[in-house]
Amino acid sequence: MTGPPRIADLLLDPVLQGVRVVAGASGTESVVDDVHWFAGDLEGVEGTLVICAESHVSPPYRLDALVRRAQQAGAVGLLIVAGSVHPLLSSIRLADRLRIPVLWLENTDPVRLMQDLTIRVRAPEQVRARTVERLLRQLSTKRNGSDILHAAESVLSVRLSLVTSDGICILGDPVDLDPGLHLDQPVPQRSDHLLVHPVLDPDVNRLAAWLACPFDRAADSRLDVLAVGLTMTEPFVRSWLSSQRAQADRDQVFQAQLLSEIITGRDSVSRDVVEGAVSLGWRLQDWHVGLHVIADRSALPAERDRVTKQLIAGLDRQGVPVVTAVNRGDGWALWTSTNREPAPEHARRLLRAVRVVSAALPHDCGIVAGIGRPHRGPSGLADTLSEARDAADLARSHDFRPAVEHSDELGVARLLATWQRSDVTRAFAESALAPLRDSTTLLTTLRAYLESGGSVILTAQVLKVHRNTVTIRVQQVRERLGIDLDDPSQRLALQVACRALGV
Amino acid sequence: MTIDPSDDVLPRIRAEHVDALAAGAVLLGSGGGGDVSVGRQLLRGLLRDRSIEMLPASVLAPDTLVVHVGVVGGPDVISERLVDPGDLALAAQAVVGHLGGRLGAVGVIEIGGLNGLMGVLAAARLGVPVVDGDLMGRAFPLIDQTTLAVAGHPMTPMALVSPAGDTVLVATGSARTTQALLTSTAVAMGGAAAVALYPTTAAVLNQVGVHGSLSACLALGTAYLDPRAVDVRTMIDLLGGRLLFDGRVDEIRPRRGGELGCVTLGDPVTGATARVDHKDEFLAVSCDGATVTATPDVVVALDPSNHTPLRTDQLRVGQPLVVFALPPLHDWPAEAAPVVGLARFGLDLEVTR
Repeated sequence: MTGPPRIADLLLDPVLQGVRVVAGASGTESVVDDVHWFAGDLEGVEGTLVICAESHVSPPYRLDALVRRAQQAGAVGLLIVAGSVHPLLSSIRLADRLRIPVLWLENTDPVRLMQDLTIRVRAPEQVRARTVERLLRQLSTKRNGSDILHAAESVLSVRLSLVTSDGICILGDPVDLDPGLHLDQPVPQRSDHLLVHPVLDPDVNRLAAWLACPFDRAADSRLDVLAVGLTMTEPFVRSWLSSQRAQADRDQVFQAQLLSEIITGRDSVSRDVVEGAVSLGWRLQDWHVGLHVIADRSALPAERDRVTKQLIAGLDRQGVPVVTAVNRGDGWALWTSTNREPAPEHARRLLRAVRVVSAALPHDCGIVAGIGRPHRGPSGLADTLSEARDAADLARSHDFRPAVEHSDELGVARLLATWQRSDVTRAFAESALAPLRDSTTLLTTLRAYLESGGSVILTAQVLKVHRNTVTIRVQQVRERLGIDLDDPSQRLALQVACRALGV
Repeated sequence: MTIDPSDDVLPRIRAEHVDALAAGAVLLGSGGGGDVSVGRQLLRGLLRDRSIEMLPASVLAPDTLVVHVGVVGGPDVISERLVDPGDLALAAQAVVGHLGGRLGAVGVIEIGGLNGLMGVLAAARLGVPVVDGDLMGRAFPLIDQTTLAVAGHPMTPMALVSPAGDTVLVATGSARTTQALLTSTAVAMGGAAAVALYPTTAAVLNQVGVHGSLSACLALGTAYLDPRAVDVRTMIDLLGGRLLFDGRVDEIRPRRGGELGCVTLGDPVTGATARVDHKDEFLAVSCDGATVTATPDVVVALDPSNHTPLRTDQLRVGQPLVVFALPPLHDWPAEAAPVVGLARFGLDLEVTR
């Protein structure tokens, strides 16, 4: 069980909220065994915190003698419950000299204070029981995440935050997660200034977030109360998370249905669909540019959701406001709407923006994106999304991530795809690349080199090797094949050959 | 220069005693009692060509009528408006006139501060001896804080005389009313007035008065002016005083209404702290929370740089200060505590001497 509190612990306890240390701060590490109400005598006050009313320190000179007597009697501190009296400098000096803390609390009912403090010092388990009861009563009526946190904050008299393991704040003030905490293990933990409690995922038994409670310092008993408080708050937060998710899921389903109706109905969409679209803020009659995003290396749906959200936020920062993102099973359909036809250079800008944003996202989520051309009206939305999906399919065939393709370039790609699949091309490829068949490294280097438009630097980046390595390898390829790689026709033929072999 | 009352030759106060007398009165003022400089100048002028007989009450015939004379009012008024010794004489004569009989000697009301000199001044003017004694043994703010009042003797008839010669005579009155009349009349008379009161006989004074305070005052003043007192500690030894604290003024909490004034002193070397509680006079000194002296003992606060005793209103923050206690001139009986003790000033302290 926990030991008795020190004065410094009590100073940060809600019981003494608003207390000031007017003197003797160096003695605040003393342990408080009990509290004693001063009624003129100081018998048996050894080890106790003496509480006295204003009448004993008014006029202020009386505090001098009280400080001295309290110290001689072995008291660990004086708590004055007084209003407007200001202690004399002599009292402050004396208390500093005798290292006896003088605490000053204004506007407090001394009877209540005495009761609370006595329980706090003598029976900390009672404080815990009371807190649990009050917390439960408060939390039971709260439905919303911030209401739950506020209720817990007011009962526990602390600041609470809901944060993810990587420190992103969901609710409350941001907190610095101590690197010493093992946030990969979903168990309650405590560092010097932070208490964290895991909030489990409503669906699977996994960690969803952390309830974090920063504190300056506290007695063990107080930390126990806080830990119990967090344990009690966690199921309420979890239940809120669960309802949040259900709401989000309902929205998702509705959006997906609406979009599929628009895509099938094209220009003859029903009135219900239009109303639904308006309620979601979709302007169907505008010009639309579709995006199809796949995060094919993220195993978890929740993670894919997050990646998509980050992508949308990133695009927004790049000046590309995305209307919405609808989960279409094989990926996310995103689009932008404008009331005027986008200028021709818009396509390049968009491609660039998507590349920049997807490159900034974590590489391990494997972003693949396709972009459609601008089309107008509900049927235009269907068209551009369909183009975007095709482009994404092509991008997906690349072995690098992130991969972004624009459907403007797809005509060529389709042509190439036809060639690649023909037997003639395949036979040519077999013979032309025969000298390199024994070296996968050289084949890969050649493919990357050609795909990068003959840039050594880009090739080096894609293969993650030094550019001198690329130069040497390309030189070896030239020697083995006996082909002039500077000749565009030769390059084209080899590139098709590489693709046909699926290097 | 010291006058020994045990001398066979009757001791007299002469011009050369004036400075010592004034210095002693300042020390016995316990930080109050008003500015003595006006009184010193007047006395010096009056004693230029004469001397005053200073007699202990025991020497006087038992039925000698003694009237106590002094000034009453605000120290600021008195320091700016000269006291006319004639007014003092008029006040004494008004009391004697009311009582009938012949004035045998003049008594000093309080030995501390300006009034320590006023009795002598009145005696010089009236040509009668001055009693070697007083009624307070220091300075007190209220007129009933006297040995006579403690012993149950009336302070009336009392006469007040203004600089314009207006005379108010209070024939009889309770202590409380007389104090109120004294204060309000002094205000009506422009803030200060000459007063004569506590008419009594030498026999009563011999019984309950403070004995030998004028000669003690002279002795203290002489010791204070002693050229051997090169440093404060030597001076305190010469005065027979008890050093209480040597430090610096760190905080002044001035008087507010009936509230006490408190001065916090600190010793930067040892870290010790002292508190001096005062009203018009220094009332108590507490060192590190323990009260080491209290009224009716006399407390002197001295500027160690120029050995000047300071009044309560002369203290400044940052000023070096030596505080010491003087041996009491009078051994007050226990029943006097409610009149001259800490309780009378609203102080609740436990004195550990």
